[in-house]
Amino acid sequence: MRSIMTATSKKEATDVTIDTATGRDLDTVVRDLIYRSCLRLDEGDFAGWIDLCAPEFGYRITAYSPEIRKEMVWLDHDREGMEGLFKMLPKHNSDHSPLTRHASVYTVEFDEARESASVITSLAVYRTQLDGGATSLFAVGKYFDTVTLEGEAPLLASRNVRLDTRELGIGSHLPL
Amino acid sequence: MGRTSVEWGQKPPFPETHYVDSLVYTDEGIFEEEKQKIFAKTWMLACHESELPEANDYRTYHHPAGVNLILVHGEDDEVRAFYNVCPHRGNTILYSPSGNAKRMTCIFHAWSFDYQGNCVGLPREKAGYCSDGECSITRGDLGLREVRTQVGYGGFVYVNLDDECDPLEEHIGSALDTIIEQIDTEPLEVFSYHRAVVDTNYKLWHDTNSEFYHDYLHVHNRLTSMKQEGYFDRKMIPFPNGHAEVGSQEVHYEAYEGGKGRAEAGFPGVEGNPWSLIDLFPGYSYNLRASVLRVDSQIPLGPNKTIVEYRSLGLKSDTEDQRNQRIQDNLVIWGPFGRNLHEDLLAVDGQGRAIPNGSRYVLHGREEDSTIHDEVGMRHFYAEWSRRMGRLSSDPTSETEAGKPARI
Repeated sequence: MRSIMTATSKKEATDVTIDTATGRDLDTVVRDLIYRSCLRLDEGDFAGWIDLCAPEFGYRITAYSPEIRKEMVWLDHDREGMEGLFKMLPKHNSDHSPLTRHASVYTVEFDEARESASVITSLAVYRTQLDGGATSLFAVGKYFDTVTLEGEAPLLASRNVRLDTRELGIGSHLPL
Repeated sequence: MGRTSVEWGQKPPFPETHYVDSLVYTDEGIFEEEKQKIFAKTWMLACHESELPEANDYRTYHHPAGVNLILVHGEDDEVRAFYNVCPHRGNTILYSPSGNAKRMTCIFHAWSFDYQGNCVGLPREKAGYCSDGECSITRGDLGLREVRTQVGYGGFVYVNLDDECDPLEEHIGSALDTIIEQIDTEPLEVFSYHRAVVDTNYKLWHDTNSEFYHDYLHVHNRLTSMKQEGYFDRKMIPFPNGHAEVGSQEVHYEAYEGGKGRAEAGFPGVEGNPWSLIDLFPGYSYNLRASVLRVDSQIPLGPNKTIVEYRSLGLKSDTEDQRNQRIQDNLVIWGPFGRNLHEDLLAVDGQGRAIPNGSRYVLHGREEDSTIHDEVGMRHFYAEWSRRMGRLSSDPTSETEAGKPARI
């Protein structure tokens, strides 16, 4: 179990939890996890992305449709389901234009025991055409993540990719 | 060995019903003619009744002939359609895709209209239009333009801009009889909607729904259908007015990674995991895969641009578990992140890149006794297209109002 210690930040008069394994404050560690998850998907390192997910991990892409006035679910898998999705990817015919994620962590809120954190991240995803390299905006939305802090390293316990963009052209086989 | 330009331009060695000239997908004049001869004269699927559950609920719809419409659930439970255009100075009346409005009021000068299209609010009416008791115009002259509307075949709202058109039943005929028990026994409800704007011709999307030879595109279909018993026995069945059906087959969803059967949340009369697909002229498809009905409807925007709308439906009476099951079944292959839909869109996007840039003819020549890989569904569509357009899809080169079709 990773040990942590709590110190008081004089400047903001709030508790700062230090991750003794890294010497960094827990807020930074959580933010790093979010950014690392984007980098690994950008790089197509799906196994590396799965490594950032807790055993109980759940992944969803959701959106609200004003046309039908309903919440919608467009992707929904547990950790095993995501592994299966990645396993089958090479057998599918997919658009191989790279997707690039731009994320800004807006808020990190810890539970009282500092065993988990709720994180809201602004997300923009760009698609770069293989032929010619033109880049266009593919989607915007937010990550609503739960991060578990109970293990050696923080892990994603759940991710809801909440999309504002609903018109996604030819779509994608990849998680965002 | 590659072909020379002369060889490339030669007509294929098929009957003229078995190929189309690529101009039908690329020419602006032909597209404008389609708007007048097909879209403005044919029943178009605008939305579903579950999108208008309450009195005074509305939906907006861009009609393929180039007209913006409002669909309104009236206080008398009738669904009506009107041009979304204020008769005063031509402003858009309703901007949101959906909502509820007891009075539909134009923001410009506050003219308002009720669910029957009557003008019911006209600020300073007498001051502007009446003098000494004589009025130059009355509210009765200022109603909205109403459009023929019928609800049916699973609760879908169909509209036709032609006031003199035949009833919807005559257009559909018996094409949906195979699934009528499933879709008309009890009310349906849309649980997922999205649209894809694709640089391709609308007929190419419809073609993709009309032929199953392209199952080679989908690893999911190869595993769950093509490799399973009965696949090559499926028959393509043409119906009058350009519609066609693909016969059903038991699908083995468990053959795909993580897949499982869909029998837990079916439709009335469905047993097991059958799959039925019916294509309606000129660009609609009912695609029933046991637990989910997907209905595609197209809004062509130009010869090489179309909006494809995707609706996924279950039963309005679904329990929470049943609805969740349908949502899960739907997202595996459909929706913007589904395994099959992305592949289909990738293919028609590729056609949209290639056909305007070098294609000469597109072949529909496979004959396999009308079984699953026979291309009779597309041939049947283009026979109807040619009849309505008054020009052969294999040789559409006679001049349009916009001029002679341009060939590369």
